[in-house]
Amino acid sequence: MKSLLQLVLLLSLALAPVVSSTVFALDLGDLKKQLEKTRQKIDENRQKLDQVRGKVSISEEIEIGGNLVSGLLGAAPLVDDASLQRYVNDVGFWVAAQSSRSELPWRFGVIDSQGINAFAAPGGYVVVTLGLFNLLDSEAQLAGVLAHEIAHVVRKHHLKALQKTMKRDFWTSLTVKAVSDGEDRQKLNQLVNAGVQLYASGLDREYEYDADLHGVVLAARAGYDPYALLDVLTTIDSINPESEDLTVLMKTHPPTAERLGNLARKMDGKMDAYASGRVNAGRFRQLAKNP
Amino acid sequence: MIGALAMPALAVEQQAIVVRQATVYANASSTAQKVGQVGAGTRVSIFSRKGGWKEIFSEEQAVIGWVRSYQVREGNFAPAAEIQTASDSRGFLSGLALFSRKASSFFKSDSGSTSSGTATIGVRGLSEDEIRSAVADPAELEKMKQFASNQQRIDGFVRQGKLSPVTIPHIEN
Repeated sequence: MKSLLQLVLLLSLALAPVVSSTVFALDLGDLKKQLEKTRQKIDENRQKLDQVRGKVSISEEIEIGGNLVSGLLGAAPLVDDASLQRYVNDVGFWVAAQSSRSELPWRFGVIDSQGINAFAAPGGYVVVTLGLFNLLDSEAQLAGVLAHEIAHVVRKHHLKALQKTMKRDFWTSLTVKAVSDGEDRQKLNQLVNAGVQLYASGLDREYEYDADLHGVVLAARAGYDPYALLDVLTTIDSINPESEDLTVLMKTHPPTAERLGNLARKMDGKMDAYASGRVNAGRFRQLAKNP
Repeated sequence: MIGALAMPALAVEQQAIVVRQATVYANASSTAQKVGQVGAGTRVSIFSRKGGWKEIFSEEQAVIGWVRSYQVREGNFAPAAEIQTASDSRGFLSGLALFSRKASSFFKSDSGSTSSGTATIGVRGLSEDEIRSAVADPAELEKMKQFASNQQRIDGFVRQGKLSPVTIPHIEN
């Protein structure tokens, strides 16, 4: 028995240089250290990925938005009325100037569609349909509608939605390469296609409530009556919901009555001090309705 | 008494309709005294606005006071036939589109319920399919950029519109 033990001891000594790494790796304390190191590396990589995922540069954002709006304009062109388009741009520019992203190249337009809707695209693009525009009675109401869309851009709601839609490896390779790169252009097109689907399927309902509330504050900051958006929603709520003009809006937004209820609750007591803001119904009628 | 109250305000009165049942308050505040109720479909006159409130008078329910702004919808509620033939100052609105907008079935009926007809006359809306299958129009995008505003234009716009910026913190959702 003793000799057997001696033999084992001798063998292990002789083999020590060969198996030493295995022997040490089996040491429990060391194993823990190794695991910890690996875990740290994984965490670091994950953080790096999260930093780039969904992040696009401002120029990429404008490029994506331009492509999205170009598609909307392909479906419904701008209303052929330069003074109307300029007026809507002035109101929108002024409201956007009160936001945290005033530096974006903000562009607004009224498109020739009787559908009642408005769309925002990353990078500072906003379009309102003629159907919705015709429901408005004042500049403050127009400001309220534009402010809701501006809020979508400021809060990057579309980019956040795309971040969720596209897989992680999509984002890592997008930011590594330059936009002019052919392969990356293909990726940009993929993003635009996903964005178009968002217009048809809608954003998270939470984003819509957020844009309502954020928009009301932006309109008030611009000196307009913040309650004007509630008036617009009241008008929309009074339209026959079976009307084809409302189909897309109803599918992509929370029920109008719930939006009204939510806004009224959240604004309660907080906006009364600013309710004496401008309505500018006269200028609206003069500039928007007498081309 | 009601008549006497209503008379001085007639000059600024606007016709409106109650779109959802509303409590009428003595002042523009939910803590003010409740003076009555108006049901959906009630025709009212609006005398003034204050914050998210409108001062209304209902002859039908003999009540005068304040309701939440979104509980009433302003507008001219003439019979449908009259509305359809009414002239409109919106030059760029096509006749068909005007008919679509003003067609009686376009709005829910005054009682708050929905009328059975749907407005399908006029320029079609932007449908889901049209959005999904749209072909990009880069020339139209360039046109859109030409109308963009700028700081010089905004200065005049703001002055003319008597707009002054206000500092307001965002409301937490």
